Amino acid sequence: MNYVPGTASLIDDIDKKHLVLLRDGRTLIGYLRSIDQFANLVFHQTVERIHVGKKFGDIPRGIFIVRGENVVLLGEIDMDKPSDTVLQQVSIEEILEEQRLQQQSKQETEKVKMLALKDRGLSIPKADNLDEY
Amino acid sequence: MFRFQSLDEDCTLEEEDDGGMIEEEDEINQFNDDTFGAGAIDDDWQEEHKRLAGLQGGTGLGAGLGGGGRMGGKSDLGGAFDSSSSHLHSSVGQLPLPPSLKFSLSSSGLPPPDVEDRAGEGGLAESLARLILEADPAITGVGAAAPPPSSSGSSLSALQGLEQPMVLPQPSSIPHLNQLHQHPHHLQHQLLPGPSSGLPPGLPPSSMLSYQQQQHLLRRGTAPMAQMNSHSIWENSMGFGPVSITLGMVTHMEDSPLMSIINEVGLPTRPPQGRSDEGRDLSERVPPPRSSSPVIGSPPVRAVPIGTPPKQPMSHALNHQIHHPTAVHVRAPIQHRYPPPFPERLSPNTLLNIANSPLCRGPFPPGVGPVLSQIQRAQLLNSQMAGFPRGGPAPPLLPGGGSGRFFGGPPPPLGHRMGPPPPHCPPNHTPPIRHNTTHLHPQHRRMLTQRMQNRGVDRGRTGGDRRSRDHYSNLMSQKEKEWVTKIQMMQLQSTDPYLDDYYYQNYYEKMEKRQERERDSSKKEHTTKLITPQVAKVEHTYRPVQFAGSLGKLTVSSVNNPRKMIDAVVTSRTDDEEKREKQVWNKRRQILYTVEKMYSLLLEVQDFEKRFVQAPEEDREALLEQHKSRTLQLCNTLREKEWDDRVSDEQCVMIMSVRKGKRLISRLLPFLPSPQAAAVVMAISRNLPALAKKDKQDQVLCWLVEPVAAVIQSLCSSALTDLLQELQGSEGQLASVLHNKFGVTLLYLILSEGERMQSSDSNCQLMDDNRWTELVFSVTRELLSVPPSSLSPPLFTPPNLLSLFSRYVDRQRLELLQDKLQITSLSR
Repeated sequence: MNYVPGTASLIDDIDKKHLVLLRDGRTLIGYLRSIDQFANLVFHQTVERIHVGKKFGDIPRGIFIVRGENVVLLGEIDMDKPSDTVLQQVSIEEILEEQRLQQQSKQETEKVKMLALKDRGLSIPKADNLDEY
Repeated sequence: MFRFQSLDEDCTLEEEDDGGMIEEEDEINQFNDDTFGAGAIDDDWQEEHKRLAGLQGGTGLGAGLGGGGRMGGKSDLGGAFDSSSSHLHSSVGQLPLPPSLKFSLSSSGLPPPDVEDRAGEGGLAESLARLILEADPAITGVGAAAPPPSSSGSSLSALQGLEQPMVLPQPSSIPHLNQLHQHPHHLQHQLLPGPSSGLPPGLPPSSMLSYQQQQHLLRRGTAPMAQMNSHSIWENSMGFGPVSITLGMVTHMEDSPLMSIINEVGLPTRPPQGRSDEGRDLSERVPPPRSSSPVIGSPPVRAVPIGTPPKQPMSHALNHQIHHPTAVHVRAPIQHRYPPPFPERLSPNTLLNIANSPLCRGPFPPGVGPVLSQIQRAQLLNSQMAGFPRGGPAPPLLPGGGSGRFFGGPPPPLGHRMGPPPPHCPPNHTPPIRHNTTHLHPQHRRMLTQRMQNRGVDRGRTGGDRRSRDHYSNLMSQKEKEWVTKIQMMQLQSTDPYLDDYYYQNYYEKMEKRQERERDSSKKEHTTKLITPQVAKVEHTYRPVQFAGSLGKLTVSSVNNPRKMIDAVVTSRTDDEEKREKQVWNKRRQILYTVEKMYSLLLEVQDFEKRFVQAPEEDREALLEQHKSRTLQLCNTLREKEWDDRVSDEQCVMIMSVRKGKRLISRLLPFLPSPQAAAVVMAISRNLPALAKKDKQDQVLCWLVEPVAAVIQSLCSSALTDLLQELQGSEGQLASVLHNKFGVTLLYLILSEGERMQSSDSNCQLMDDNRWTELVFSVTRELLSVPPSSLSPPLFTPPNLLSLFSRYVDRQRLELLQDKLQITSLSR
């Protein structure tokens, strides 16, 4: 409501800590420094947070520029609110390992499923999430 | 590309490798063009080079010298030569000259009139040449030298020269540079203020390093410098971009308001001077201007691309020369890291890794403090002292101190009045509301004000402290914020707010009306009208640029004028079979089309009232006329082609065969003049069985009940009789009518209306002829004979049916009817 009352604008969010979810599933947390008319975002002191189950790990990333079209959602993090969560922070290596395991198990179940379907003569085409051709 | 510069350890320039040098010259050209575009260099340095080379007696000093000759961009900078020339000899052997210096020498596009003037008959050139030659091994032998204090003058220029190959010094910065040059004895005469205190002489001019690197170097000595310098300097330089922070000049420069600007903007000037003695570390280089194309062969794009934020004020001076975007300042402390083997650029990963370590420490590492220059600190203090509740650092761009700053108003295009700006707020502080009176509905504004006030009270304290510690705030300047807002506002503009923002307008109107109703009429405020800015409709058609005397037009495709990619040609098929099928579809389509056209007319007619109220006095008549014509048009569409005054049955039925058409008729009926409305209702009743059949799927005939009821009530007695007759129509029609819910309801409506007429008006003409009586008789007969199962329940039963029937039938039948139809005197 900064300059144009009655509208929503990111101007008021500048210099505040935000959490952004990208289309590729990444979660970034950082200070929003700059925006433009396409909602391209410039994040400062960005941290990529990987969640696996109840654990999460932070990977510091520095400065991020996110193209606006890749943002799913963006929300301000309230620094005043106490952050008492059930989530447990672990080291980067651990979380990456956990993630790898998670991916692996997912792939295995997918494989089993495909095999089962194939046996029955069915096939589910893989969903194309990437918009790339 | 810089292989010639990334010197082999044993390269000694004493060899004076002519051939090699000349090759390198071409490479330099190529690289230059690639990076900066062919047009980046204004002057033809090649001539200069040849001339200077000629001075040397034909020695192919090549690029280095040629560039060196061009170093002195302006006279004051050329002064550096003077001061430093004497030092050259002494310092040359000792200081490493980074190879990039050569590059900058060669690629600088600055005219060297001064050099020639000052150089004096090639004396300078000679010394320069020797400087370069000797500097080369010096590069490899880094660490050997502590730059003597006397070299500072040239080091300054050297430093400057490293910034940007093609930059001209800003006029505003010149005076300062002048001063700088006057003090050759200053240690590390650096251009930019740095947060850190002066470096010991042992360090080569590290103005290009981030301050953290400098700190690092301070601790670790010059050894790493050697490493850095020996590999291609570019490795370090490319990624870091940010303007370096100088050392040592802090004391001298910090008070200058210019420094804050320079700090912010970066030194775009590259007064490439005295090829200095001190080894220069190009670890930080501002990336080439955005507008130049790095791709080989493509021309430089001069135009500022869409989406460029407005230039900072200080860089305006440059714009006419180069479109140089301000360097992004990475103020996070960066630790020195050995560059990867691949020379050209830092990969993003390396950069990230470099930046990683500070981030691991948390958002505000202790090293952050020094980032603020003295000026910024002063500004910060000022702003805090000004009683400002949330002291964030004022935008460093404004040298006058933060206090003077206030919010720019909302973007100009609409030219509306703005409320008084708040005294002093940083951009990230929610200000007291500036009332854009012309934008929001006043009701909306009131609500917003209340909301803001509530929120402002709560969040007053907490935000302030946090922001005072956030040194990276306000990276986005006020201007940029306004610019983004301006774009967003542009998207909000509309020539017809009623059309573009229909729901918003209607919602607030309704809210106001509601409030008015609730409030006492005595203390009713005058209704606030929403005044929305009317933007003149500008012609946005693209007119291709045409040059005089050329054939044809130059077409530049853009977002608003896209290139035509496909030539689509419409071919109609002439298949007989399909034709027949199509005919059916065509008919339907035609109906739909007619319905659509009528709808658009109808909507305008319906909106008429609202617009009438909103329109100013002068326009009202015109609106009225418009309204009438539209209504007329509507009626006409219902008419037959040959008979002008009769509502066409066919047309009506056709329209009603579509669900949308029925809806249309139901909405249209109230607006039709009464004879026409009556005619429509007649048509409906006449064709009811057919309509009912078509309606089986949709069941939407009942929408018509209300408007039809209204029409019926306005009918005269004879018309009513006629209507009843139509309804009964041919044999058996009544039965089918009774079958249908709508039909039954319609019948009841008619009967009830007749009864009302009879009972209310004693001398009504209903009884004049026997038609009515007969019709009612037949109706009752039908009602009695029809099996109860096929009699569908009506939407509602008018209460006076009982009295109607009591007139015409005897008691026994009356009771039968009562049971069957379940009509009592209380039923509804």
